[in-house]
Amino acid sequence: MIGKFKIKHYINYIVISIVAVVFSVISLSGGQLDNSTLFLLEKMTISIILAVSLSLVVGFLGELSLGHAGFMCIGAYISGKVASLLQESLGNGILTFIISLAAGAGVAALCGIIIGIPALRLRGDYLAIVTLAFGEIVRSIFQNTSAESFGGAIGLSTPRFDKKYLFIIAFVLVLATLAVLQNLIRSKHGRAITSIRDNEIAAHATGINVTKYKLLAFTVSAMFAGVAGVLYSFSNYTVQSSKFGYGYSIEILVMVVLGGMGNINGSIVAAALITFLNTRLATILTGDLAVLQNLLYALILIFIVIYNNSPKLKGFRDKYNLAALFKKIFKPKTDPSVVTDDAAKWDVVPTKIKMDEILSVDITNTDRNQSDEGGKK
Amino acid sequence: MKKVLSIALVLVFCIAMLASCGGGSKNYAKNNTEYVIGLSGPLTGGAGMYGTAVKNSAQMAVDEINAAGGLNGIKFKLVALDDMHDPTKIATNYSSLLEAGMQMSLGTVTTGPGLEFKNLSKDDNVFFLTPSASGDAIPEFSNGYQMCFADGNQGKVAAEFVNANFKGQTIGAFYKSDDSYSAGIFAQFKSNLDSTVKVVETNFTDANKTDFSTQIDTLKNSKFIFMPTYYDAASTFMYQAKDILPADAVYYGCDGFDGIDNVTGFDINAIPQKVTMLSHFNSKATEGPAKAFIDKYTAKFGAETLNQFGASAYDCVYALYGAMKAAVDSGKSIPVTISASELCEILKEQFNGGYTLKNGVTGSEIKWEKSGFVNKGAIQYTIKEAN
Amino acid sequence: MELVLPTIINGLSLGGTYAMIALGYTMVYGIAKMLNFAHGDIIMVGGYIIYVCMAMGNPLIAVAAAVIGCVILGITVEKVAYKPLRGASPLAVLITAIGVSYLLQSLAQIIFGSANKMVMIHDFGMVSILGVSVQVSSLITLAICIVVMVVLTLFIKYTKLGRAMIAVSEDRGAAQLMGVNVNGIISLTFAIGSSLAALAGFFYLLKSPSISSTLGAMPGIKAFTAAVIGGIGSIPGAMLGGIFLGLIECISYKITAIAPYTDAIEFAILIVILLVRPNGFLGKKRREKV
Repeated sequence: MIGKFKIKHYINYIVISIVAVVFSVISLSGGQLDNSTLFLLEKMTISIILAVSLSLVVGFLGELSLGHAGFMCIGAYISGKVASLLQESLGNGILTFIISLAAGAGVAALCGIIIGIPALRLRGDYLAIVTLAFGEIVRSIFQNTSAESFGGAIGLSTPRFDKKYLFIIAFVLVLATLAVLQNLIRSKHGRAITSIRDNEIAAHATGINVTKYKLLAFTVSAMFAGVAGVLYSFSNYTVQSSKFGYGYSIEILVMVVLGGMGNINGSIVAAALITFLNTRLATILTGDLAVLQNLLYALILIFIVIYNNSPKLKGFRDKYNLAALFKKIFKPKTDPSVVTDDAAKWDVVPTKIKMDEILSVDITNTDRNQSDEGGKK
Repeated sequence: MKKVLSIALVLVFCIAMLASCGGGSKNYAKNNTEYVIGLSGPLTGGAGMYGTAVKNSAQMAVDEINAAGGLNGIKFKLVALDDMHDPTKIATNYSSLLEAGMQMSLGTVTTGPGLEFKNLSKDDNVFFLTPSASGDAIPEFSNGYQMCFADGNQGKVAAEFVNANFKGQTIGAFYKSDDSYSAGIFAQFKSNLDSTVKVVETNFTDANKTDFSTQIDTLKNSKFIFMPTYYDAASTFMYQAKDILPADAVYYGCDGFDGIDNVTGFDINAIPQKVTMLSHFNSKATEGPAKAFIDKYTAKFGAETLNQFGASAYDCVYALYGAMKAAVDSGKSIPVTISASELCEILKEQFNGGYTLKNGVTGSEIKWEKSGFVNKGAIQYTIKEAN
Repeated sequence: MELVLPTIINGLSLGGTYAMIALGYTMVYGIAKMLNFAHGDIIMVGGYIIYVCMAMGNPLIAVAAAVIGCVILGITVEKVAYKPLRGASPLAVLITAIGVSYLLQSLAQIIFGSANKMVMIHDFGMVSILGVSVQVSSLITLAICIVVMVVLTLFIKYTKLGRAMIAVSEDRGAAQLMGVNVNGIISLTFAIGSSLAALAGFFYLLKSPSISSTLGAMPGIKAFTAAVIGGIGSIPGAMLGGIFLGLIECISYKITAIAPYTDAIEFAILIVILLVRPNGFLGKKRREKV
C-alpha cells in the first residue's frame, strides 16, 4: 500500500533536521558554539537514540528491559577499542568512526540476539530481572578486564572525535535510527510486534511468529543502544564501566515512560528534556541538593504511571486530558470524505492497558479477571 | 495533538538553547576581574571528605593571598564544582568552569574524573596542578601536574618497604577491584614486589561494600596488610576484622587512608591493630608550616575534614601563585584577562624550569619533573599504634 | 575445616540475610502478583531508623522501632503507590515500584547526606566452634533467620490469616467471595515483608557499621535473584535460594581468581537456572491462559 505523503508522519525528521542544520551552521560558520552547548547536543542525541530504541522493546513489544545500558556499554567498549587500534593507521577521521560504528553496533546486536533467546522463554518480571542481570554481567566483565585489553577499572582511553563535528554525525545517526525504527513499526513487522504486546497468545494463534519478532525487536533495540554507546565513546576520552549500571538503564526507562509508552515522538522530547534538565540542573543543584533531581524524577515517574494506568482514574482521564482540552479549544474540522490512513496509526497504538480494558468488558468482576497469574489474559 | 505539543516543545527548547549560546571568542576569561582558579571534586558522596577538604583549604589559601594584596593588586578567585567522584559529570563541570572564566585549575580531586579532565583541559590548553588525583596517567599531557605522589610511586614505595621488611614471608592485600585508584596502586605494588614475598590478595567491588567477612577470613593469618583503599571501606573492614586478625597485625594504606581517624561514629582506638599510611603530610605535626596550616584549618573548619588532601590543595594554590609571581618578576606580563592557554604556557615554563615551592605544608622543597610528577619526600605516618 | 567452616558459616549467615529479604519479595509476589522493586530500599530505611534510634541507646528499642517504622512505610507505599494500580498491567506496577525505590533512596540522601554513616550496634565478639573462631553476629543472624522461617511457615499453615493468604494467592476473586478481606490480606503481606526487611537491615548493620542510601539496592536485587532461583511465590524456595546464593557469593569471594567476577557469576547462575528451570527450584508451574 502506497500511503499518501503526510507531513505529520515526517514531522519529527523535519524538526530534528532543522535543529541539526541550525546548530551546524552556527558551529561551522565561525560563530562558535560554547563547549557546554556542544556537550549538551552530544548528550541529547545519545539519550534520544537510547530512548527511542528502548521504546521499541518497552513501548511496542511490551517487555521491560532493564539492561539497555549493558548494550550501550558493549557498543562503547568495542568501538572504543576498535577506534584506538585504527587511530594509528587511519587517523581519527570519519573512516575510523564508521568502522568503529559498524563494530560496536554489530557486537551489541549480537548480544541482543543472545539475550533475546532467554526472552523467548520468559515474560514480564522474570525477563526484566534477566535483562538487569545481563547488564550487570556486562559491566562487571568490562570492569575486570586487564589493563591492556579494555582498561579494567581505570577505563578504556578512546580517541575523541572533533567536537565541532561530532554532534552533526550524531544528529545524522538520530535520523537514521528514527528512519529504521519508524519504518519497522509502521510495517507489517511492526504490527506483528505490537500484537505480541497486546496479547501474545492470541498473536501466536493468528500465525504470527512470536519467536522471530521478539528476537527482531530485541536485536534492533540492542543494536541502536550499541550505536548510542559508540557515540558515547567518541564523545568522551575514557569509557568507564561504572557509568553503565542499572541506574542508567532506569534513567532511560524514565525517558520512555515520561514520553508515553509507544510514542516515539514523546520519547524524543522526554529524552531531550531530561538530558537538558540534568545538565543544567547539575550546575545549579550541587552537593546534596543534586538528589532533588532524582526525587523529582521519582515523583514524576510514580505520578505519570498511576495517572495513566490506574483503572480507577479512567473516567477522570477521559474527561480531562490534553487531547480533549485541545479539541475543546481548536475544534478541528473533520471531513467525512477523507479516508483515514490506519496503517500510519500504528505508532500511536493505545497502550496494552487500554486493549485489556476492551478485552475485559464482558467480564463484570474485574477483580477476578486480574487475579490470574502474572496478569495474563 | 500530541505531535503539535511535542513540536512546540522542541522549538521552545531550541530557542532556549540558542539563547544560552554565548558569543564567539575563545577567551572565556575576557571579562574577568580576578584570576579564576577552577576545581572539580566530590563535595558530597563517599569521597566527600576529600573534596570538602580541598575546597576549604584552597579557599583558605586564596583568601590569604588576597588579604596580602594578591598578585600586584589583582586578586584570585576559586570556583569549585561538585562532581561526586563521577567521571560523567566532568564534561559539564569543565565547560561550566571554563565559561566561569577559569584561567588555571586545580584539576580534579579524585583520579577517575581526572582521567576525563586531563583530556578536556589538553584541548583548550588549560594548566592544572591537581592536589590529589594520583593516577599515573593524570599528568600525561604537558599541561598537567600533580602535587601528590602518583599511584605507581605509592605502589612502588609500599613494595620497597615490604621487600625490605618481609623478605620470604607472606603478606595480605585488600583492594577494590573496580576502582581505578585502588586497583592501580595494587597493580604497581604487585609488579614491584620481590619474588620471595608471597601475597594473599582479596578484593571487593561496589556491590558488597558492607560485609567483608569472607575477605577478612582470607586474610586472617596475615601480619601485614597492604590496603590501598579509601577510608570508608577501610574503616568498615577494620571494624569487622578487629577480633579476627592478629592483634599485632599492621594495616598499611596509601593516601586514601587519610581521614580514617575522623570518620564519624568510627572509633579507631577500638581497633587493636596498628594503622599506618604513606603520606606527604603529618596531620599531628607539632612544628613548621604543617603545624601552622593545621591550626588555621581547624580554627576555621574544625578538625573533621583536616587531611592531606586539603594540605596538598593549600600548597597547590601557593604553587600557582608563586609560579605566577616568579614569571611576573622575570618580566612577563600576566593581565587579569589573560586566556587560559597563554597562562598555561607561562606556568609550564616556570614548572619545567625548576620552580620550587619552599616551605610547603606537604614538603619543604617541592619541585616538578617535566613529566608532571612531583618530586618530594614521602612520610610513613603512623595513625595509630597497636593497642 | 579451618579453611571451609568459616566460609560456610559466612555464606549461611549472608544467605540467611538474603533469605529474609527474598521472603518479602516472594510473599508480595505470590499474593499481590507484583515485583516490589522498592523492597530492597525498605532495608535501607530500617537501617537509618536504627541509626537514628541508636543515639538513644538501647539496640533492642532501635530494632523494634525499625520494624514498626518499616511496617508503616510498607503499608503506606502499598496504599499510595500500588493500590491504585491494582488491575493495571504488571509493567506499569513494576515501573511505579522502581519509582518508589528511587524516591526512598533520594529522600534518604536528602535527609542523611550522601556520605556513609557509621553506627555500632553491639559488639558480640568471637566464639570458637570446632576449633575455628566464628563471629557471633553471624550465628545470631542465622539463628534469627531460622526462627523467623519456622514461625512464618507455622503462621501460614495453621492460622486463619495464613490460610487466607494462601487463598488470596491461589485465586483472589474466589477468596473474596469466600469472605476474605483481600485488601487487608495484601496489606498484611506488605507488613510482614517490610518487617523482615527491617530485620535484614539490622543484620547488615550488625555485621558492618556503615550505612548509606544505596545500602539496600544491591542486596535487594540479589535477594530477588534468590527468590527467583528458589521459585518465586514459594516460602521454602526463598530460603533455599537465599542460602544457595549466599554460599555461592562467599565461595566465589574466597577464590581470588574469580572474586572480582562474583556479581557476574551470581547473575549468570540466575540466567542459567531460569533457562533450565524457568520456575526455579521449588516454584509451581504456571499455565498461560487467554
